[in-house]
Amino acid sequence: MRRSLIVDAPRRKKTRLYLWRRLTPYFFLSPFFIFFLTFWLYPIIWSLVLSFVNTRRRPWTLDWDFNWLRLVNDSFFWEALRNTFLIFVGQVPMMITLAVLLALAFNSDLLRAKGFFRFAFFAPLVLGAVPYSAVFQLIFNGNFGVANYFLNRLGIESINWLFEPVPALLTIIIAVTWRWTGYNAIIILSGLQSIPNALYEAARIDGASAWQCFWRITLPLLRPVLLFTFVLSTIGTLQLFEEPWLITATGPGGATETLLTYLYKQGFRSFNFGYASAIAYAVALIAAFLSFLQIRFVGARDE
Amino acid sequence: MMESLKLLTKILISTVVIAGISFAQTITVWAWNIAVPAIESSIESFQEMNPGVEVVVEDLGNQNVFDRGLAGCAAGGFEMPDLYLIENNEAEIFWSQFPDCFVDLATLGAEELLPLFPDFKWTELIVDGAIYAIPWDSGPTTVFYRRDLYEQAGISADEIQTWDDFIAAGEKVLEATDGTVKMGVISIGSDDEWFRMIANQAGCFYFDVEGQEVTVNQPGCVLALETVKKLVDAGVIAVGGWPEQIQLFQNNNLASSVYGSWYGGTIQSEAPEQAGLWGAYPPPALEPGGVRASNIGGSSFAIPSSSENQELTYEFAKNFLANADNQITSLRDYGLTPSLLSTFEEAYISEPVDFYGGQAVWQDILATLGEVLPARGTQFFSEARDVTTAAISDYINGGYDSAQEALDQAARQISQATGVPIAQ
Repeated sequence: MRRSLIVDAPRRKKTRLYLWRRLTPYFFLSPFFIFFLTFWLYPIIWSLVLSFVNTRRRPWTLDWDFNWLRLVNDSFFWEALRNTFLIFVGQVPMMITLAVLLALAFNSDLLRAKGFFRFAFFAPLVLGAVPYSAVFQLIFNGNFGVANYFLNRLGIESINWLFEPVPALLTIIIAVTWRWTGYNAIIILSGLQSIPNALYEAARIDGASAWQCFWRITLPLLRPVLLFTFVLSTIGTLQLFEEPWLITATGPGGATETLLTYLYKQGFRSFNFGYASAIAYAVALIAAFLSFLQIRFVGARDE
Repeated sequence: MMESLKLLTKILISTVVIAGISFAQTITVWAWNIAVPAIESSIESFQEMNPGVEVVVEDLGNQNVFDRGLAGCAAGGFEMPDLYLIENNEAEIFWSQFPDCFVDLATLGAEELLPLFPDFKWTELIVDGAIYAIPWDSGPTTVFYRRDLYEQAGISADEIQTWDDFIAAGEKVLEATDGTVKMGVISIGSDDEWFRMIANQAGCFYFDVEGQEVTVNQPGCVLALETVKKLVDAGVIAVGGWPEQIQLFQNNNLASSVYGSWYGGTIQSEAPEQAGLWGAYPPPALEPGGVRASNIGGSSFAIPSSSENQELTYEFAKNFLANADNQITSLRDYGLTPSLLSTFEEAYISEPVDFYGGQAVWQDILATLGEVLPARGTQFFSEARDVTTAAISDYINGGYDSAQEALDQAARQISQATGVPIAQ
């Protein structure tokens, strides 16, 4: 059948072959596209629709402002937003600063066994969130934790880390910083290594001090990389879930409730997918807005 | 050759059949904490009637049972146990979100059980005519009190009839002990148990019994919140959570503890050296001669539709829950208060208990159970509780001028979150 067709229609054969060649790469890409469509695009669109649906009772009904009106008036949502913001303010600048210092150390000629240290600071990411959270629970245990042991040694009274609002928030900040500083340091290190040595040599010949080199050469040239880590960390903080869920169980009394733990509770404890979707879109909008601000103000001079 | 093949086939088939039966005859139960050994204590009596049936009770922890149950129902009953322990308050989310996830027990004959339990226990369990679960334990509100400390302050449990009496007694206790001994512990901002215990006496709850209206700002609830505020303002109750309450009674700083009857077990295990000093009486009423009965907490059993042994599981549940002997065992050994009405006639109930100074506490505690007014959690229980807890905390800390105002605000928030209208 096929053979006769080809013989009969050489022109068609040509176009078919051409089409086939054009399509082949897409067949190879199709697993990704199928995955993308079913697990990314479809949920993204469907959750936007769901945010306008009242999902409290079956059958679900279209109700444009039901979830969004609740979002605006929901004190628990605003509290979660406030907690997330506090963690962001307390954590991201400190972590980026630490990461820059670490990256400078990694890059320094004075440091021996660089590979070992680079891996050691990156290692927290290799560990799963569950064992790491369990260990932090032990470290910050109010009665027997090693954190309080050291505080006592320094003559400071024990802190009930996990069951007082402010210390609980601090515990989360410390845990997240511990986990992500090394990762950011490695990214910043790659930025450091891309700065040509010639610049430093020239500066030194002109009599610039190490301090001046850092402020006038290193930091300005690191700006794109710093912006990248800053934006990633911002989005990461907005999506913070594992630490407050596993270490403090969003307690005490919701003091470490974050946007995503609240979203999870609405979605999978109350089975209120409409409201959970509205929260998800609110988080996405906030992330987009913050990233826009950061790119606008930190990355402005690149344009 | 042919013969041996036939024999082999026969053996194979019978092995498969036997394997099938023995596989089908394992009942798995999901439960938590002290409930696990309590349920296990009934296995033997069940196996006497049903030899060869294995029963496995898995302790997943309270929150995990709830979370995995919801996930299992969402996945169409995947990997669910045969018997599922569920807290009454939060049970309804299952029936309303996944009406097919659990068996309507009426199809297994559960109607026979209806008269065996007090009406209020069925409130959340029967929805639209379907019986979704069988009641187990309950938590009649109880005032556990220290006889020696009451005596020292010159007060008597019999004279405390109303919450005003309770406050007056508390002031005497404060006076007699230089303010070191309190009449109870309240957690502000993390739970609203005092409010729920007192509102229940007034027949008020977050929602009406049909679950169709938000009633948290109705007069009964307002009265309950005003009473809670009076208790806090008078300084007769301490502020703290579960661990603080234990520390306080261990250090002789509590003259009484107001909680569900199940709290007695905690006192006994945490302060064994105080044996004989304790007693118990029903909670005071809102007005002279008013309702004293109230309930906080309690759980029930449901059978997932995915269970392959529904009838056998029903038999197991019935043998445990509707059998006075087994319920007495779980009361005596694990302090879990039954709601099965026939247990109240058992001899053990009227026996004096040494820990409570020879008082027949179980008789006194269970006496009020039949009068408890229904309170419907609905599928929105946990959200309504979060909102109400926050409003109460704000009100106690001076954020609102009146209890009415605080609860009006709570009602608006609950209504907005759930879509349930506020009662007029």
